[in-house]
Amino acid sequence: MTLFRTLRRWQLLLLLASLGVPIVLMLWKPYVLIEGLQRGGLYAVIALPMALILGVVGIINLAHGEFMMLGAYFAYWMGVYAGLDPLVAMIPAVVAFALLGAITYVLTIRRALKAPELNQLLLTFGMAMVGTEFANLMWTSQPLKPHLSYVYSSVALGKLRFGTYAFIYTAAAIVLLVLLQLFLRKTRLGRAALAVGQNPRGARLVGIDVNRTYLLIFSVSIALVGALGAMFLTRHSVFPSAGSPFTMKSFCLIAMAGIGNLPGVVWGGFGLGIAEALVSSFRGYGGWADVVFFAVLVAVIMGKSYRRQTA
Amino acid sequence: MSLKGKAMGLRVWALAILVVVGAGFLVAAEEGPIKLGAVLPLADITGAQGSKAMQLAVDEINAAGGVLGRQLELIIVDDESKAEKGAAAIDKLATVDNVDVFIGGMSSGVHLGELPALKKYERVTVWIGAASSLVEQAVVGLDWYFHIHPWDYLQGASYVEGWAALQAEYPLIKIHKAFWAYEEGAFGTSSYQGSLVAFSNWENVGESFKSALLGGGDYRAVLRHAQEFDPDLFIWVGYAADALPIMEQAAEIGFTPPLFVGSPPGWPADFGTSPLADGVIAYGMWAPSIKDVSPVSQHFWDAYIAKYNEQPATYFAPLGYTNIYVVAEAIARAGTLDKEALITALEATNYASPLGETLTFTPSNLIQHQGFRNQKILQWQNGAQQVLWPFEYATALPAYPFTGP
Repeated sequence: MTLFRTLRRWQLLLLLASLGVPIVLMLWKPYVLIEGLQRGGLYAVIALPMALILGVVGIINLAHGEFMMLGAYFAYWMGVYAGLDPLVAMIPAVVAFALLGAITYVLTIRRALKAPELNQLLLTFGMAMVGTEFANLMWTSQPLKPHLSYVYSSVALGKLRFGTYAFIYTAAAIVLLVLLQLFLRKTRLGRAALAVGQNPRGARLVGIDVNRTYLLIFSVSIALVGALGAMFLTRHSVFPSAGSPFTMKSFCLIAMAGIGNLPGVVWGGFGLGIAEALVSSFRGYGGWADVVFFAVLVAVIMGKSYRRQTA
Repeated sequence: MSLKGKAMGLRVWALAILVVVGAGFLVAAEEGPIKLGAVLPLADITGAQGSKAMQLAVDEINAAGGVLGRQLELIIVDDESKAEKGAAAIDKLATVDNVDVFIGGMSSGVHLGELPALKKYERVTVWIGAASSLVEQAVVGLDWYFHIHPWDYLQGASYVEGWAALQAEYPLIKIHKAFWAYEEGAFGTSSYQGSLVAFSNWENVGESFKSALLGGGDYRAVLRHAQEFDPDLFIWVGYAADALPIMEQAAEIGFTPPLFVGSPPGWPADFGTSPLADGVIAYGMWAPSIKDVSPVSQHFWDAYIAKYNEQPATYFAPLGYTNIYVVAEAIARAGTLDKEALITALEATNYASPLGETLTFTPSNLIQHQGFRNQKILQWQNGAQQVLWPFEYATALPAYPFTGP
C-alpha cells in the first residue's frame, strides 16, 4: 500500500495500463504483443544512440538513420567480400563506425557546437543528404539483402505460430539500455558525460575535458548505430533512403520520452510498437499505424506539458 | 577601278567565302552522327541496364556501318526519377544537343512531367516506359509519339487471359479467391483498383501495407489476414525492397498459399539465389530463359554479357536494345530524318525483339502507335525466371502448389 500511496494518480493509471494491456493482449491477440515487442524493440534500439548524442552533446543528429543505412551497407559488403554474417559484421562495424564518428565529429560537429541550433540542424541534415547520395552513387538505388535462413525461424504454440528471431531487437534494446545506464552511472567517463550533458560550463570548471567527452559520446553513438545497421540488415533490405524514416521515428521517441531519458525511449518504443501492431491487426486499418504513432506522441507531449503547468 | 567597283568586288568575294564556308558546314552537318536523345533514371537498375543495352545496340549498328552511311550517337541524360529533371533533360537534348529522336523512359510520373516539353518540340519520340493510362490520355492525337510498353489496362487484360489459359491448360490450378496486398502509395493502390475490375469473377480481398521504400517493412499483419482468408492466389504489389522480407515473414508465420505472386516493377538482382524464391510467380515482359526459345534474345544476352560482364536482370535491358533498333531500322527505311517520312517508317515497324515477340505499332484505346500489348506470367524456378505463359514462349511447366521453404 505504501507504493500505491506514493504514486500519483496518473502514475498509477500508467502502471495499471502497462500491466493490464499486455495481459489483455496475451489472452486476446497474443501475436500482437509478440510482434509489437519485436517491432518496438527495433524502434527503441535504433533510437538509443540518437538519444545519447542529444542528451550529452545536445545536437539533433538528422543523419542518424543514414549512419545506420551505411552500417547496413558495410555489413552487406562484408558478407560479399569476407563472407561475414551481418551479426558477425557488427564487430568490425563498431570499429569502422567509431572511426567514422570521430572523423565526422572533428571535421564538422565540433565546429558547429557554438553555432545556433538551426545551423546545427542544417549541418546534420546536409550530412544525411551526403550519406544518401553517396550510397546512391556507390551502390545505386537497388535494394540489397542477404538471404539468411535463421531470420524466419519460428515456433508454434497451438494454433499460434510466430517468428522468434525478431526478438533480437527486443533483447538488443534492453541490453543496450542496461549497458548505457551502467556506463553513464558507474564509470568515471560516463559520469563525466552526464555532467557535460547537464551543464557543460560547470563540467569544464571542475576539470572535465568537455570536447573530448563530446568526441567520445559522438563516436560511441555512431559506432552503435553503425553496428545496429548490420542487425537491421538481417531482416530488412538496404537502399540509400532506408535510414531516413528511422531518424524521424527515433527523434519522435526521444521527444516523447524526454531528453536524456534512456529508459523512457525503450518503454516508449515498446509501447508504440504494440500500439502499431494492435492497429494493424484489424484488417484494413494498417494505414492508421502511423497516425497512432504520432497521436500517441502528441498526447504524451501534451500530457507532459499539462503536468508541468499544473505542478 | 573606281572605289564603287572595288567595294562591289569585295562584296562578291565576301559572299563567295560565305557560300564556301557555309557549304562546308552543311556538308559536315550532313555527315555528322544521327543523334538519339535518351532520358532514363540511371541510379535505378532499369535505367542503368536500359542505357547499357541502348549503347550496345548503337555500337552494333555503328560497327555494321551505321544508318544511311552515318554513325548513331546516343546522348543519355539522367532524370534521377524526378519529373522536373526529366523535363529539363528534354529541353537540354532538344536545344543543346539538337537530337533527332527522343527515346528512353521508365516512370509514368516522370514522363507526365516531360510531356509538356516533348509537345513543345514535337520531335519523333519512341518511348519504352510509362505504363500508366494517364500518360496515354496525355498523348492522344500526337502522331509523332510511339509507345512500346503495354499500358496498365493492357497488362491487366493480359493477366486475365494468362490465368484463364493456365487454369484451362492445368486443371489442378483453380483460382476462386485472391488476396491482394498492395503498397499504400499510388502505384499499389491503382494496381489493386485496376485488378478488381479485371478479375471481377474472383472473390477479391485487398489490404494495403507500408512498403520498405517508405519506411515500412513489417508485413506480418497483412500476411496473417491473408492467411485467415485462405486464398487460392496471394499477390503482393510493392517494390523490390519488399521482395525478400515478405517471403521471409510469410515463411515465419507459415503462410503458403497455392499461388504466391509478386508484382514489383523490378526484382532484386539476387532474389533468385534465395531458396524462398522457388515457386514464386512473377509478372514481366521478359525473362532470361526466353533466350532458350528466341535466337534474338540469345544474341542480346550473349552480347550484353560479353560487353558488360554482368547479366541483364531487368526487362528494361532488352527494351532499351529494342528501342534503338526500332528507331534505327525506321530511319533506314525512311532514308531520311524527315519527320513525316520517319513516322511512316515507324508505323511499318516489324521487329523481332529480344523480348520474344515481334514489335509492331497498332492502335490502343486512345493512341495510334502502341507497341507491345502483352505481359508474361513467369515463375522463379531453381534461381531463374521461367516463362509459364504465353505458351508459345513457355520455358517450363508451372510448379504448383507453392510450398514455401
